[in-house]
Amino acid sequence: MTELFQYVPGSSPLHRMNPITKIGLTLCVCVAAFLTDNLFYLLGLLLFDLMIGVVGGCAKKAFSVLKGLVKVSVFLFILQALFVRRGTKLFWIITDEGLLTAAGVVLRLIVVCLPLTLVLSVTQVSDISGAMVQILRIPYAYAFTFAAAIRFIPQFMEEMSGIMEAQTARGVEFDTKNVFKKLGMILPLCAPLLVTSVRKSGATATAAEIRGFELRKADSGYKKYGFGAVDLAALLIAAALIAGAVLIP
Amino acid sequence: MIRAENVSYGYTGLARTVEDLSFHIKAGEFAAILGENGAGKTTTVKLIDGLLLPTSGKMFVNGLDTAKTRVSERAKQVGFLFQNPDRQICRNTVRDEIAFSLRAVWGKKEGERIEERTEEMLSLFGFTGDEEPFSLSRGLRQQAALMSVLAVKPSVLILDEPTTGLDYRECTRIMEFIRELNEKEGTTVVMVCHDMEVVLDYAKRALVMAGGRLLADGDVHDIFRDAALMEKASLLPPQIVRVASALGGEFAEADDAETLASLAAAAHERRKRA
Amino acid sequence: MISVRSLSFKYAGASEPTLRDISAEIPDGEFLGIIGPAGAGKTTFASCLSGIIPHAVRGDFYGAVLVEGLDTADNRLTDISRLVGTVFQDVESQIVSSVVEDELLFGLENFGIPRDEIEERLTFALERVGIAALRHRTIASLSGGQRQKVAIASLVALRPKILILDEPTGELDPGSSRQVFSLLRDLNRDYGMTVVVVEQKIMLLCEFARRLAVMSEGRIVRDGTVREVLGDVGALEEIGVNCPRSALFSSLLAEKTGEDIPVCINADEAEDAARRLIG
Repeated sequence: MTELFQYVPGSSPLHRMNPITKIGLTLCVCVAAFLTDNLFYLLGLLLFDLMIGVVGGCAKKAFSVLKGLVKVSVFLFILQALFVRRGTKLFWIITDEGLLTAAGVVLRLIVVCLPLTLVLSVTQVSDISGAMVQILRIPYAYAFTFAAAIRFIPQFMEEMSGIMEAQTARGVEFDTKNVFKKLGMILPLCAPLLVTSVRKSGATATAAEIRGFELRKADSGYKKYGFGAVDLAALLIAAALIAGAVLIP
Repeated sequence: MIRAENVSYGYTGLARTVEDLSFHIKAGEFAAILGENGAGKTTTVKLIDGLLLPTSGKMFVNGLDTAKTRVSERAKQVGFLFQNPDRQICRNTVRDEIAFSLRAVWGKKEGERIEERTEEMLSLFGFTGDEEPFSLSRGLRQQAALMSVLAVKPSVLILDEPTTGLDYRECTRIMEFIRELNEKEGTTVVMVCHDMEVVLDYAKRALVMAGGRLLADGDVHDIFRDAALMEKASLLPPQIVRVASALGGEFAEADDAETLASLAAAAHERRKRA
Repeated sequence: MISVRSLSFKYAGASEPTLRDISAEIPDGEFLGIIGPAGAGKTTFASCLSGIIPHAVRGDFYGAVLVEGLDTADNRLTDISRLVGTVFQDVESQIVSSVVEDELLFGLENFGIPRDEIEERLTFALERVGIAALRHRTIASLSGGQRQKVAIASLVALRPKILILDEPTGELDPGSSRQVFSLLRDLNRDYGMTVVVVEQKIMLLCEFARRLAVMSEGRIVRDGTVREVLGDVGALEEIGVNCPRSALFSSLLAEKTGEDIPVCINADEAEDAARRLIG
């Protein structure tokens, strides 16, 4: 879990692409997924997602994320299939339309979530926030908060697993199968986690202040984020994906 | 009683490992595990506690194979005090914190016994029980964590760098308490500690690790006097042991300031008379 | 140079002041160690020296702290930070980036260091601190000691005149602790950087610090060279400060023989002292 949002170093075309282009491409995939009603097109988008993973050199991670998403999707699929009553009844209360709608929802979820995690695998968070400030002119304070939040995730995970370990040591059994029981055990442990997190975020703000945070201007960034051929290619692909979603019935 | 038989462990994905450990710590011993960072000390104590299970080999605590023992059963026998008490503490009062440990191990039905034992621990450490753990100093939080570990009367106590972040007095208070527990109740103590003076003062046996392997295992004093061994493990022996070894002869055996000073004063006296 | 004049501080909501009427001078190029039992006010004092108190902490602040003549209370924290670099007790919360290089860039960019100077300062800081090889590594993949060095490097790059550290070796093993202190000694010796370090490990202070201040109950109760302060083993014991065993040995030896024995602050000195006596 800890590695999920972590950067995987590399020099693939995706690594070289402008962070803004990457985010744009991701958003276009999402838009395309919501525009189309064609299940095969959704499958095509899923293939495209996985291809991104392969090109970016993090295919292994892409597949493990896919596996996790499929697990969540099974639950969602059953729920959807039960609630949609339109269409012809196939068996019990399950209808053909129910199955198709459920498949659409689940596929969309996967197609949308996958590239979002992959972007973070091929882009440093600092580059995302840096480019947002430089190109999109987003105020630095927002970009900084965003970067801090993303950076906080692995820290949070590490702390959480440390706490679980310490509790296991004193005899708390987390290996129960009952989801609600497990949640009931983990929730009380979040209290100390919150206390330490709040304490830390205050310190981080001061740490930023004593290193001149307040003096920062939009063009303070040392790294410059330009656009190149890769970005043009990505733009064309993004346009094609949306056009396909609109044109293919 | 702790027995490791050719225990090896490899973290998945990371290169840190413990390799082919074999040792036997008898009931009532006070042992320290020494070594520089990455030597495998913490992994070893987690293997003893069953928080990690050997990838190969076997670990027995009180005759039970850790790989086959339930969490709650093992928690009855082994107490683990972490370096950072904040990961252990999860309740709003110190009293609740102790009771939480007891409930996890003894079960919820033992209400009366749990209450009794909680009050016993509180008076032993001089707490009222209403203290809020997160408003206490690090030293007192460490004591609160220790209370909740000791409440269940484990026969084996594991300490992972228990004195980190504590001042001299807090450190002495916790260590003196553990010494008494070891001597009076016969609790087996296994301690990971970077402070060689603390090790010399409290532990009787030392296991020296380097690169995931056991380099040496023996009496603390003998281990500290073995300069070649200490060098190999990148450790610095306690000051007085270093001075005594350097002086040699009748002084070589001294390991506390008082003894060494008496010996030196006596030698000085003889020299003056001669 | 820092001068502290009748400094008192009480945290908002606290019933008792944490610092009580402290006056001290820290000249340029000093290497000062601050030691004392928990609750003595060491961290609070360090925060006052770096201007974090009164700027980022609420409470009643009396007296004055002057850094290079600037009154910390009257100047912006940012302006004081140009002179003073501070390393927090919890390094984890101090780091704002995910990659080593970015952590160093953060301050350089903020303070508007000219672009052509940035690369030079970056390499200088990384090399000086001995982490040039870690430049492109993620913070998450570093050990505690390495993270501590990154935090120090990010300040060294800003070339402050004064460096203040609050228990920089708290979570480190003896090897990494010594590395951090030898780094501080080098910065102090080679660049005249003033170093103020709060530290529990007396042996490190004996080896590296020049001056030692002992705090107790919000006051500085002992202040002098390491040797002067360690001369009174009994007083330190009473305050709740650990002494190196060598100092304990020399004081016991003086007591038992009635001879005049200088205080020994390390094992070598203790050996010499014994040899002189026994011939």
